[in-house]
This record gives sequence, C-alpha cells and structure tokens, in this order.
Amino acid sequence: MNNAIEVENLTKYYDKFLAVDHINFTVKQGEIFGFLGPNGAGKTTTQRMLTTLLTPTEGRILINEHDLSRDSYPAKRQIGLVPEESNVYTELTAWDNLMFTASLYRVPRGERAKRAQELLETFGLWEKRNIKAENFSKGMRRRLSIAMAIIHKPSLLFLDEPTPGLDAQSIRAIWELIRRMNAEGTTVFITTHQIEEANQLCGRVAIISHGKIAAIDTPERLKANFRRTQSVEVAFEGDVTEKSPVLETLPGVTTQTKVGDKIRLYTEDPSALLPRIIQFAESHTLRVVSLNTLSPSLEDVFLEITGGQMGTVRNESLEEKPARRGKGARK
Amino acid sequence: MNQWIERIKDEVAQAWTVALKDVRVYYLRPGMIMFGFLMPFFMFFSFSVRREVGAAEGVARLLAMTVFFTAGAAGPFIIPTERAIGTYDRLLAAPMSLLTLLLGKTAVGAFFAIAVSGVALLAGLLFFGTTILQPGLLVAGILLGAFSFSTLGLAFGSMPTTNPGDVQMPSTLLRWVLLFISGVFIPLSDMAPVARAIAYFSPLTYAQDVMNHAVLGSGLLNPWLDLAVLALSGIVLLWPSIKMHQRARVLGR
Repeated sequence: MNNAIEVENLTKYYDKFLAVDHINFTVKQGEIFGFLGPNGAGKTTTQRMLTTLLTPTEGRILINEHDLSRDSYPAKRQIGLVPEESNVYTELTAWDNLMFTASLYRVPRGERAKRAQELLETFGLWEKRNIKAENFSKGMRRRLSIAMAIIHKPSLLFLDEPTPGLDAQSIRAIWELIRRMNAEGTTVFITTHQIEEANQLCGRVAIISHGKIAAIDTPERLKANFRRTQSVEVAFEGDVTEKSPVLETLPGVTTQTKVGDKIRLYTEDPSALLPRIIQFAESHTLRVVSLNTLSPSLEDVFLEITGGQMGTVRNESLEEKPARRGKGARK
Repeated sequence: MNQWIERIKDEVAQAWTVALKDVRVYYLRPGMIMFGFLMPFFMFFSFSVRREVGAAEGVARLLAMTVFFTAGAAGPFIIPTERAIGTYDRLLAAPMSLLTLLLGKTAVGAFFAIAVSGVALLAGLLFFGTTILQPGLLVAGILLGAFSFSTLGLAFGSMPTTNPGDVQMPSTLLRWVLLFISGVFIPLSDMAPVARAIAYFSPLTYAQDVMNHAVLGSGLLNPWLDLAVLALSGIVLLWPSIKMHQRARVLGR
C-alpha cells in the first residue's frame, strides 16, 4: 500500500528555537495515525508544515507522493484540515459555510447542495442550517468545522485536537465519524494530547517530545514495550499512612503512588510482588480489601516517554481504564 | 493545455468565491464602515467647507478621495481579523495559488470602492448638478484606482500580525500623508517644483488627475499616463503582499 504521508528529515526553527528536530515517519493510506505529545512538543508545528501552512526549515514532505516543496496544488486538493480552533465564519449560516467551502474546493456545482445536506444531516445540523454559526454551541461549531473540511471528500484528513472541551456525546459522535470515514478509505492524521482519544482511534501513534519522535508504533506494542510501567494496586482496611512508606522498600518496587484510598506500586514483575504484599499485610496485621495488577496504559507510556511523572498526572474524564486482572478485579 | 485552462478557470472562480464571501461577511462591519465609508466623506467636508471650491472641482476631489480611502480599507481590516480568528488558515490551505487569494482580497476592497464612489457620484450629480465630461475615463479611473489602492491596503494587511490595530494605524497614517502630497487639496499646477516631484511618487496624484480630466475636462498629465500608472502601481504593490505572506509562512504567523 502506498504512503499517504512521507516525512524525511523534517525540521523547523523559529528563529533560533528548534521546534521540530529532523523527524522521519510515514503514514500509510487508510491508516488512522495519531500524533501525540505534550503542549509545545512540536505537534501543531509538524501538522502545519504537512498542510502547507508553514514552511519547513529543512526536510521533505510527500503527500500522496506529491512533493509539497515543488507543487503543493495537487496535494492540497486531497487534503482536508480541521484546525484546533473551529474556524467557521460566524456571520454565515451553516449552509452558507458549507457552500462557500464547496465552491472554494471546486466541488462540482451540481453536487454541492446534495453533499451539504448529507453532511448537515450526518452531523445533526440540518434543522439549524439557516442559523448563523455565531449562535452555535462549541460542539456544533466543531461539527460544522469538520463538515467543511470533508465536503470535497479528501483522501487525507488532518485533525488538530478534535475534541477538547466537548461533551461526551459530541466526542463519541466525532470519534464515530472518524472511524466511518476511515472505513470508507480516508487516511486520518490526528494531532492530540488526549491519550484516550489516540488509544480509541489510532492504528499507530507517534509520540513527539521536545521536537523529536520518541516512539512510533501501535498502541498495544508501545504498552508491551514498557513492561516496567506495570503495577500492583492494593487497598487496606483502615489508615495505613504510617506503614505505606515501608511498601516502597519491598523488593521489586520501583516507585509508589497513592491513588484515592489505594496504593499503586510500580514493578517489572507483578507476580513476584503479590506474595510479598500479602506477607507484608500479615506481618502488620492488615486486612487487604482489594489487590489488582495493572498493565501499563498508553498514558503511562506517554508520561514515561515525555518525562512526565508516571501515574500521577491524570485527567479523570479522559483516563484510560487499565486492564485489570487478579484478586479483587472490578467488574 | 486543457489542464492549464481548467486550472485558470478554477483559480478565477476561487478568487471570486473569496471576494463574495468577504463582501457578505465584512462589508457591514464597523471597521469597514468607519474607515471605508464615512472617512472620505468626513475628510471631504472637513477640507472643502468654507473654501471656495467649485462644484465640479469638489466632485472630482470627492471621487478621488472616496476611491482612495474605501479601496484601501478592506485589506488592513479583513486579513488580520481572519488571521486572529483562524479563518485565514482555511484560505491558505485551500487548493489555490497565493496570487489567487490576494486577487480575491484585492477585489473585495475594489468592489467596495466602486460601490461607494457610485454613491459619491450620485451625490455629485444630484446635489451639485455636476456633469461628467468624459464618462469612459471616469469609469476607467475608478476601476484602476480601486485596484491600485486596494493592493496598497492589501500590502498593509499582509503584515504578519493578528491584530487589525497594528496595521490600521500605519496604513491610515500613510494614507493621510499621501492625501496631503498628492494634489487633492492643492492642485498640482499650484505646487512648488519640489512638492510636485514628491507628488509624482503617489498613485493618488494620478487618480486625482484622471478625475479632473473626467469631471473638469482638464488635468495636468496625460490621462493615459494616469491610467497606466494606476494599473502598474496596482501590480507592483502585489509584490510586497506576496513577500510578506511568504515571510509569515516562515515565521508561523
């Protein structure tokens, strides 16, 4: 299968600041590819270079085999772009926004109205087609922005942080749409710092940190490669604040953190740690309420790679539920 | 060959699409009305009342000022506004050349100038009883003047900033300077040689001269020269806009 995106040695300096540092990667046609990274890592800069909005300092970009530095026109025809801010024209109605974009991308005149109607129905905006976008909610503007980006049926869709600030229903609707478009053959490139989003949608992810690609693989293989981020989560009856530091001294524990009423112990070998915890409980006459082993989440991998404090930075609404196994596993 | 013809047709249609969208979105915005519509009339009355200016001379002056101010109002207002709200990226990412985008934006200012100068002309005909001696020359002067002054505004609008205020201040300042050196309030023939030499560097000088030909029946320069300078200055002024857009792409603004 051909590559939808090929990036060779891509570099961007802002004056003397190196934002993107000689990165290389490819995205195959038909993939959903996630570009993950903390704020300021170089995600949006990379995406802006891929969509011709920013001139690279060095390197080469091929979009569907078209070299952007030579002639961006054929590539631009095949690209759809949903930027981080929903850049709809608030003074125009939803319908007029779509008709404008259709005309800009030279969608055949006879097809414009049909496509606009299909998209407005798909996004639940048909009833509001004659209302100016200034009266739309954030979620509605987001959906309209995505509709505008795909009215010309692009073969490659770029989404920059598609769902932050949206309610759960809107997020699910957008994820479903992305999956459906991908099933119909559209390659999707998602820039996000929301790990669960990448985990739910992407076949492969690249993690960028300090302008460099730190890892690139499928989410599951990335997790498998970070065995040291496995952990055991234990809850005791009563207050164990005084005794918890002792847990960190158990053989095999690399670090520990308190998670609500539980203590999470990170280890490379959870099976060896389990009997030690039981022994610890017995020797201190503590009753174990629950005991779980947790495989690493994509968030753990992300934090490990990007230098964040592993297992302590959590966004509850987006937190990945780690696979649980062993005693006391939740149902 | 067919491919190129199709491409050119597409680009013309895209420039038209951009222009029409801007007309709908921005023409009634306060910034456009203030700097584009009201300003030339205020200026005209400020400098013409209590001065003994003939009706025809006043109309020629009003037309030149209207085209000048109105055409140049769009670029400095629309482009930084669009950069600030992110809609400009949509245009830059679209499959059209930068020149097409800039010509579309030029048309926005030019259409505005043509419409408002139509109002000024109507006022001249109805209230001052002015007769237009060379209507063809008047139309050509308004069209080419609108093009030239719109690209001047576009050059300011192309500065890599997201704040319209950063652009409107210097562009308004320059327009005031041009207004006073260009033979609008003091006829070219009455100017000292040095002042007249300076006036020749301003496109407004040629717009005022062509309006004088059209309305008064006489001017200082050859009207064909006036039209040629207006057309050429419009083309030349696209160059800094292109360069600044390229620079903005490097800077990431």
